[in-house]
Amino acid sequence: MLKPYRNPFASLASLALAAMVVLLASPSHLFGYADPGTGAFLYQAVYAACIGGVFYFRKFLARIFRKRP
Amino acid sequence: MIATPDAKTLSSFRDPAGSVVHSRDRILRVIHPEFVSEFETFLATRIAHESVESGTLITSERISSDALAGLNPGEALYEHERVAFPSYPYEWPAEMLHAAGILTLDLARKALNEGYGLKDATPYNVLFRGPRPVFVDVLSFERRGACDASWMAYAQFVRTFLLPLLANRDFGWPLQQTLSGRRDGLEPEMIYRTAGFLQRLASPYLQTVTLPTLLAAKRREDASLYHPKPAGSEEQAAYILRNLLNGCKKQLSAAGPRAHVDSTWSEYLEHKSLYSSQQLDEKESFVKEALDLARPVTVLDAGANEGHFSMLAARTGAAVVAIDTDPVVVGSIWRRACAESLDVQSLVVDITRPTPASGWRNQECMSFLDRADGAFDMVFMLALMHHIVVTERIPLEDLLALAAEISREYLLIEFVAPQDPMFQRIVRGREALYSQLTQERFEDAAKPHWELVRSRQITGLHRWLYLYRRRRAEP
Repeated sequence: MLKPYRNPFASLASLALAAMVVLLASPSHLFGYADPGTGAFLYQAVYAACIGGVFYFRKFLARIFRKRP
Repeated sequence: MIATPDAKTLSSFRDPAGSVVHSRDRILRVIHPEFVSEFETFLATRIAHESVESGTLITSERISSDALAGLNPGEALYEHERVAFPSYPYEWPAEMLHAAGILTLDLARKALNEGYGLKDATPYNVLFRGPRPVFVDVLSFERRGACDASWMAYAQFVRTFLLPLLANRDFGWPLQQTLSGRRDGLEPEMIYRTAGFLQRLASPYLQTVTLPTLLAAKRREDASLYHPKPAGSEEQAAYILRNLLNGCKKQLSAAGPRAHVDSTWSEYLEHKSLYSSQQLDEKESFVKEALDLARPVTVLDAGANEGHFSMLAARTGAAVVAIDTDPVVVGSIWRRACAESLDVQSLVVDITRPTPASGWRNQECMSFLDRADGAFDMVFMLALMHHIVVTERIPLEDLLALAAEISREYLLIEFVAPQDPMFQRIVRGREALYSQLTQERFEDAAKPHWELVRSRQITGLHRWLYLYRRRRAEP
């Protein structure tokens, strides 16, 4: 079985992303002491994924409209 | 003056960044050393300045650490403005909880633009100056991770604002019981069980009740769930959060109280009272003259109904706290006080079962009587005595003694004799119990605490108005 090729830069990128998660996501989670709930938190994650997608879609649409004066 | 530890009461302690201490009528906030610089940075932001300026955020002033004994090295001390009469969410009508929710979301949205977020979202972060909400938990603002697209306090906002309002409006669950029994509000699952099939599919139930309940049922136990990955960019994170907050605001509007709800006590003075317009004029003149004479700065209107006399007092410049047991009439007082910009704070409080002290060690939230003790220059008890004496079976002498504990100076009270039709309506066959309740007996009961300033009978009614002044102890 072929061993999959691992791009060393990809590992570095993952490491950087992991560091970003720690650096960027942690502060509010450390001191945001309110119980995040279970269902409401999952709903928020699903919502973020959907609206996050819409964000790119909107940018894409904006780019199209910008090209047409 | 240095406040000694025995003089202080810890009233807010859950935040790892600091705590709030009540110390001899001062509200002091202790900030732990590692959070001092972030707190200072927040106080210098535009949102902090503008919100303090507009009266939606409480003032904070750094004071010498010497003002509070027992601080640890490096801890900073701030003093907040003291809100004249603090109240708690379980004393608010739906209108006030709704207004507190709107303020929380507005501040969260403004904070987002400056890179801040709210670390908690509970109605306990809000107090009221008259009818206007003011955000008092300044330490709730924290610097957001630039790409952090999650709001950890979202679930708390849903539990403590949205779901109690929904359950109150649609199922009649009283806010007073819901919020006094549950500090952190209602879980989506509780509402899901009560909601009907079609209701579960309609907004705002779908987003705040149904989807969270179904998602929670399908969850895998995985701690990493609570450490979501950051968004792809700062703009994307802000876009997601802005939409989430806008969605919350729409849901809050949808869960808001309905206007023009009728109750036993709504529109009482206009349609259900036995006062003719002439008799009401007589009563109003007496109250106005009493206010002219007493010139109170603070007034408690007990049994305020829709706040007719609270408004009279507020128009003379007094800060009024109006209490009644019926959330519908208390809500209508709030609406009117907002519309007319009058300094009236309306609360759902039963004077015969006043709000008890609550929370951890019964010390987080003070009882109503502890807050009211000597807090008012004048107390109104208009058309209230017969309900307290007959329905609640409180001894008349005790009612007048309680008034003397609450009022620093004046009492305006209406004596309703047993011959009065409203008195007879609530006696329900127990007339013999009140055969001795005469005007003379009422006056005798008042004597130990009160000296008479003036009194008058309402023409054609078995009702007398009394203005009393508190009797001073003999030197």
